[in-house]
Amino acid sequence: MKTVAQTNETATLRNKSKFSFNKMDGNILRLLIIMFTIFIVASITKPDTFLSLANFLSMEKQLVEYGLMAIGVGIAMIAGGIDLSAVYIANLSAIVAGLFMKTFASAVTGTEQILFIVLGILLGLLTGVVCGLFNGFLIAKLRVPAMLATLGTMQLYMGIAIIMTGGSIVSGLPQPFAQLGRTNVFQVFTLSFIVYLVIVAFFSYYIGKTKYGMKLYLLGTNEKATKFAGIKNHKIIMRAYMLSGVISASAGLLSLARINSAKADFGSSFVMLTILIAVLGGINPDGGKGKIYGIFLATIIVQLMSSYLNMFPQISNFYRDMIWGIALILVLIINYVLNKKSEAKLMRLTSQ
Amino acid sequence: MMNTLSSKTLKKLATRPEFYVFIIILLLSLFIQAKSGLFFSNNNIVDLLQSMTVPLIYAICAYLGFISTGPDVSFPLIAALSGYLATQFVFVTGFDGPIFVVFLVAIFFGLIMGAINGFIIANYNFPSLIVTLGTTSIFSGILLGVFEAGRIKLPESMIAFGNKSLFEVTNAGTGLGSSLPMTFLIAVSLYILTYLFLNFTMAGRGVFAVGGDETSAERAGFNVKRIRFGVFTVNGGIAAIAGVCYSIESTYFLPTEFAGKEMIVIAAVILGGTRLLGGVGTLTGCVLGTLLLTIVTNSLILIGVPIYWQKFIIGAIIIVGTAISVIQISDLKGFRRNKRRKVGVA
Amino acid sequence: MSENLISVKGIHKYFGGVHALKGVDLQIKKGEVHCLAGENGCGKSTIIKVISGVHKPDGGDIEIDGQKYDYMTPTESIKQGIQIIYQDFSVFPNLSVIENLAFNKVLANKKKFVSRKEFRRIAEEAISKIDFDVDLDALVETLPVADKQLIAISRALLDNAKLIIMDEPTTALTKKEVKRMFEIIERLKKEGVTILFVSHKLEEVFEICDSVTIFRNGKNVISCPVSEMDEKKFSYHMTGRHFEEDAAPKTRNIGGTVLETKQLSAQGFNDVNLQLRKGEILGITGQLGSGRTELSLALFGLLNPDKGEIKIEGKEVKIPNPAKAQELGIALVPEDRLTEGLFLPQSIKRNIVITRIDELSNKLGIVNTNSIDDESAKWVRDIGVATKNDEFPVSTLSGGNQQKVLLARWIASEPKVLILNGPTVGVDIGAKHDIHNLLRDLASKGMGIIIVSDDVSEIINTCDRVIVMQKGQITAEVKEADLNAKTLANYI
Repeated sequence: MKTVAQTNETATLRNKSKFSFNKMDGNILRLLIIMFTIFIVASITKPDTFLSLANFLSMEKQLVEYGLMAIGVGIAMIAGGIDLSAVYIANLSAIVAGLFMKTFASAVTGTEQILFIVLGILLGLLTGVVCGLFNGFLIAKLRVPAMLATLGTMQLYMGIAIIMTGGSIVSGLPQPFAQLGRTNVFQVFTLSFIVYLVIVAFFSYYIGKTKYGMKLYLLGTNEKATKFAGIKNHKIIMRAYMLSGVISASAGLLSLARINSAKADFGSSFVMLTILIAVLGGINPDGGKGKIYGIFLATIIVQLMSSYLNMFPQISNFYRDMIWGIALILVLIINYVLNKKSEAKLMRLTSQ
Repeated sequence: MMNTLSSKTLKKLATRPEFYVFIIILLLSLFIQAKSGLFFSNNNIVDLLQSMTVPLIYAICAYLGFISTGPDVSFPLIAALSGYLATQFVFVTGFDGPIFVVFLVAIFFGLIMGAINGFIIANYNFPSLIVTLGTTSIFSGILLGVFEAGRIKLPESMIAFGNKSLFEVTNAGTGLGSSLPMTFLIAVSLYILTYLFLNFTMAGRGVFAVGGDETSAERAGFNVKRIRFGVFTVNGGIAAIAGVCYSIESTYFLPTEFAGKEMIVIAAVILGGTRLLGGVGTLTGCVLGTLLLTIVTNSLILIGVPIYWQKFIIGAIIIVGTAISVIQISDLKGFRRNKRRKVGVA
Repeated sequence: MSENLISVKGIHKYFGGVHALKGVDLQIKKGEVHCLAGENGCGKSTIIKVISGVHKPDGGDIEIDGQKYDYMTPTESIKQGIQIIYQDFSVFPNLSVIENLAFNKVLANKKKFVSRKEFRRIAEEAISKIDFDVDLDALVETLPVADKQLIAISRALLDNAKLIIMDEPTTALTKKEVKRMFEIIERLKKEGVTILFVSHKLEEVFEICDSVTIFRNGKNVISCPVSEMDEKKFSYHMTGRHFEEDAAPKTRNIGGTVLETKQLSAQGFNDVNLQLRKGEILGITGQLGSGRTELSLALFGLLNPDKGEIKIEGKEVKIPNPAKAQELGIALVPEDRLTEGLFLPQSIKRNIVITRIDELSNKLGIVNTNSIDDESAKWVRDIGVATKNDEFPVSTLSGGNQQKVLLARWIASEPKVLILNGPTVGVDIGAKHDIHNLLRDLASKGMGIIIVSDDVSEIINTCDRVIVMQKGQITAEVKEADLNAKTLANYI
């Protein structure tokens, strides 16, 4: 083989330039800059209200729910799909868990009650798993485009939740469960925020460092090629939506503990917000690109911004919808421009 | 000769999704009639047509979106915001002239909003779902945040138009009366106009060409960006008409009643055989799909199904409908595969 | 006839920092079939786009029929009678044949409205130009590939085309269809239409073209009548290197049977009995649609057999999916590199290690980054992938290097049987040479290799034994001793 000698140098070159090309780092850096800028501006302009423990605790509580769903949506987007049903999986899971706890755990006390509460939580998570697997089944097995499959299941899960509750609110949960939503750790962290951090850390590692994650990225890039590379696509897709489902379910359960109630159509504006966060975090809607910790940073940014806006009473909640909408489109455009630039750079780099 | 011809047409018909929707509608209506005895009554039919009016207009938006590019989910909020602005126009100016001017004002604002969608989608080639989700949020923020729109009783001139009806019927048996409002005529005219545009203008054929193969369309000499921009802009205008119609029907402007209507419309359009990936679908399919879903939502009560089953049933219809249409597409591919070669990817 | 229809001189074109055309000259005489050849990335498609007005050149002259231009626009180009038949034929699958034929002309006439009558008239005129027999009302997606191409050709002829540029027109056609297309080219030539035939298939160039221009690295390196060209000269000018296809080291130790099929049947082929031995390179050839591709897919678990059996080293196996195939030691380098093989925006590294990812991870499924780096580096080096950094997207590589990445991916899985479907399609001659050598090398180490290809010279140069397929059945088996172009052509 004549060519072996001439390309020996490739390997040496490779080690030198190992860190020269890493597209995501730029995005993470951008996110960090945005985050700190908002933080500093907010701290300077509203020092009393923004820099208070109460504000931090309330930010932690709020961001957890949509932050978790955004991770689920992000995983589906890395796989080249989308999960529009995340919010409704969260609601359905919360309703299932809530109804179970109300029925079984309210009547008893002590360890028995704790047991039923734990069972309720597990049942809620299981609901998420089942919903996610059903999404995965439609997408992986029946080949329904993810967007339409989850558009349909979004209605379906909401419909099931309405049927289960007759359209009304589930409330009045057993005391120990509601207590979970009020527990703080070291005074500065809410319990739900700790749970969120653990989930973020786990999935950053799981999607970023495991063979499953690598297969997920490759599948999101070219589904046909993964099949030809001996990967069982349907397993990867089913698992992605299952994960999205169970993460959403945990968001639902945390919300149930926080506000002590659940309803079939809570948080419908989160559908758009989760997509915004995922895209802002660097997940490419075409699949195969983006990092979970990017979603984490994007979540923090959105919450900082949201809380800051809250400090201006003249800005109504509805303004926020408008701002998120504008932000989503701006982020898309900015990413588009930056991608073009990095492509041009790559072209110069690779053509001698 | 006649025989073979008609069996051929029948066979051709049997491959169309519209045909199946038609059969389902037939069976469903017979079932409801059998159960309640109220389906084929003159006032029920007129009621159906009346409640179909706005969804029918929306369906054109969803249809044009799918044919040319992909899903458009922004039409309900465009309808709301432009409907609001037109109503405000009447209040502020005290306008008392012909109603079509009110429509024109709404259409004007609708076109602007649609153009925003169109510009972003056509210029950057972003997924239309994500863009229209974003603009929906923006329009909703403007309507409820900036304008702080609430429930408003419509001005007299608009209510007067709403009270005019094409005809009225009274059910001899039950004594219930129903009337078909003028807005139904608007829906019908929009269908005729859309049909003429899509089939008899080059721009209309371009909508199908762009949806079929973007690169080929570009090479053939279609201006792909302009066509996409045009479609979403026009969608804005059509949505605005629907917005005014909806308000007129309910005699109130109800700002929060618009959001969420896109789902059922998209379900109807997909059921009617519009292909998700562009280029294929008929207006007949849109009408039949809308009719089917309107029957389902209107008649649940007639057959004793509780109203809160509605969402569930709509979700199930979207899922079953899309799954069937996907299976049909892959069958078609299978057919081609047999002729040539098989690519072993499901 | 000596007058040039098109003459471009000193054309330069830059893309960002890339100098794609470095002062290119190209002369095409009126009424000739002119071949434009060159490896991928040599500037062939760029010059086509300059002539058709898609790209504006950064320097140089264009002269069409005696008229000088600084640059062309798409409309001016069409006005001057220049038409392109794209590789994908540029059709609308969702629309009728009529509309596919009529759109261009109606749009060029700036008509705003549709006249069904006019559409039909234009369509009938178009198909009459090449006596193309087709149902005008049929949807294009229901037609075979060859018909789509004929639609593209007849459409191009409508505008009184003077020059038709055909971009790799035979790629997706069967032998029979190619023959028919060549008849059409002859006919067009008689009618005075000039043709620029972009191809790198030697046999076709010699069969149909009058003269040839070869591009290399954004420059034209030779232009001459086909009669003055031969195979050696052709490949030398394409690559700038001399090659000797070393047929000599074919004497390998051929061992026991590694793969065997009995009465294997699936959609596309019937009752296939074949044997592959260790260290053997078996060729499977046949026309497009002969069942060769389907057979390779069935052996890799992508197509379920209806009946028959597959044996690996004497043991009967079922191969329901590629994962199982991989487990059994079967590898497939697919036919379509871009859609079936590569993850284009992903790194070269990830593209290589994907088949080994399970072994390079620990029990918890966590990947070992260092082993992955080493594995990738090893293959980049051993197979000779020309890149500065294996973190670059695989899309930055040339066709030949991309194919090497795919080969590395599958050789890394240490298969007993390596199946390659069209291993050197769209690969430049230099890389083709490397790949052939690599395959011989692998075979001599005991791997059983199946090459599915319709490239006759490739089959002859690399295979020990060749199976010929026709209409889904094995119709002949040719041993090495009888392996030459003539015998093979007879069987195919």
